Amino acid sequence: MTSIFLQLLINGVIAGAIYALVASGFSLIYSTNKFVHFAHGGVIALSAYFLFWLFSSLGLNFVVAILLTVLFSALLGYLLNKFFYKPFRAKKASDSILLVSSIALLILLESVALLLFGADVKTIDLIKTSKGIEIAGAIITPLQLVIVFISVVLFFGLYLLMKKTKIGKAMRAVADNKDVAEIIGISSEKIYSWSFVIGSAIAGIAAILISLEQNITPTMGTNLMIKGFTGAIIGGVGSVPGAILGSFLLGLVENFGIWFLPSGYKDAIAFILLFAFLLFRPQGILGIKYNQK
Amino acid sequence: MIDAYFIHLLVLIGIYLILAISLQLSLGYSGLLNLGHIAFFGIGAYAYAILALGGLSSIFCLLIAGALAAFFGYLLSIPINKLKGDYLALMSLGFSFVVYAVLLNWDQLTRGPLGLPGIPRPLIFGFDFSSNASFLALVSIIALASYFFLHRLVKSLFGRALEATRDDELATRSLGKNTFRLKSISLIISAFFAGIAGSLFASYITFIDPSSFTFVNLIPILLIVIIGGIASLPGTFLATVFIVLLPELFRFVGLPSEILGPVRQIFYALTLILIIYFKPRGFYGKIDLE
Repeated sequence: MTSIFLQLLINGVIAGAIYALVASGFSLIYSTNKFVHFAHGGVIALSAYFLFWLFSSLGLNFVVAILLTVLFSALLGYLLNKFFYKPFRAKKASDSILLVSSIALLILLESVALLLFGADVKTIDLIKTSKGIEIAGAIITPLQLVIVFISVVLFFGLYLLMKKTKIGKAMRAVADNKDVAEIIGISSEKIYSWSFVIGSAIAGIAAILISLEQNITPTMGTNLMIKGFTGAIIGGVGSVPGAILGSFLLGLVENFGIWFLPSGYKDAIAFILLFAFLLFRPQGILGIKYNQK
Repeated sequence: MIDAYFIHLLVLIGIYLILAISLQLSLGYSGLLNLGHIAFFGIGAYAYAILALGGLSSIFCLLIAGALAAFFGYLLSIPINKLKGDYLALMSLGFSFVVYAVLLNWDQLTRGPLGLPGIPRPLIFGFDFSSNASFLALVSIIALASYFFLHRLVKSLFGRALEATRDDELATRSLGKNTFRLKSISLIISAFFAGIAGSLFASYITFIDPSSFTFVNLIPILLIVIIGGIASLPGTFLATVFIVLLPELFRFVGLPSEILGPVRQIFYALTLILIIYFKPRGFYGKIDLE
């Protein structure tokens, strides 16, 4: 019994770390831009395929490949903002328009991946399936430890970036009140752009870690986005620490849910949690109001 | 051969038309950004398939499938009435994911990813609709009936009250209309017709699996509604014909079948993006998507 509990706890933390990797970048972009960038999942999927292409097809050195992948995802985020969202913003598109267009963009990016790489699953065989470490009857692989460790380091780095650096402070200013931020000389367009670059770079890191642990499939972006998004909402969207907290909570609830329901219902559990939060605590755990126009 | 292909396309147009005009009622006329419409389609398809495979009469299966979808429409309307804009869209989108997860995992009932094969074609009052030509007649009758029913509905007092709710909910409520009830009924009717469309789809294709009811499949329907124009039924009809037929061109330029799927998806997604950027009112729309 305790070993099952411990195993579910470990699985929950690993799932939570992966969701938090997705949610933190998404939430960072949301906090300044104030719209739901669903295509964030598409950025993750394309970055994972890009890594596969560099590492498995071209046979590049792994360190070079991951650096290029992060660069690729940051650039993709930058371009999406500049050539996709910015024109919509210039037309003063409503939130609903932006939501629908970002969903269409997600499908577009995934279809491009499907077209280029086919429907079969891809794997990155950097780490041969290694034997897990046993802790009191529960098993965790070294790779999973690395994922949890890197995400915690990344979240701490993100926290420092937002709190200590000039760009982080400017981002928080725009997130808080765009008009006032502009009055004191912060260009909101520049900040939008920066949040896309930084948020998408995190998506690139997420893509690397996830593709080491799981298969790369064309629909991975949608699946991850659903989870990351749910994590962000239940934590309090627009707050990066909230999104991370919510994602870990989601990972734990999903995995402990298997105690009662077959594992295929994980997605349904995630959504029931989302429904509950949307209805009863739309501001999320950390109590930051979701921008409702 | 050409005839068979032509009939197939017309049947698809009929099914998509029912699906699109029913979405038009909840999204266009009531202003609910309903992204869960594909779930009602799926519920209808599965309800019909399971009942028909159980040997029940077709007309009964069809009505139960519609009624079950309508019931879920009612269930979804309860939380949706408390929400607005993005929230509502995400809630309904989430609903479609839950339905998909249930279809995929309730093995005893739905056979999960294996799907349900051998769904019988309808047999209504002694008429056998098993050939494609007769099935086309059935789809046409139901599509026309649905179209005229919805046309009458949106022109009625009820329809006007719906549009008033969409344009200014507070004002409508101050005139003594129960806007929650209006929106609920609109979603129930919308879901009912989506369920009917699902039944027709299931009995036409004779095989269904959960992959036909995912969020990717929502894009063409959403596209039809937006191209046709929010709250425009004639526009929706033209857009349905256009959107069902146009991707067929890819077949004729000789694209291999394995890239046909993604190319069609790219076409739908790209068209949707372009249309909401350049022509957010569609071709016959009266109002913007809010």
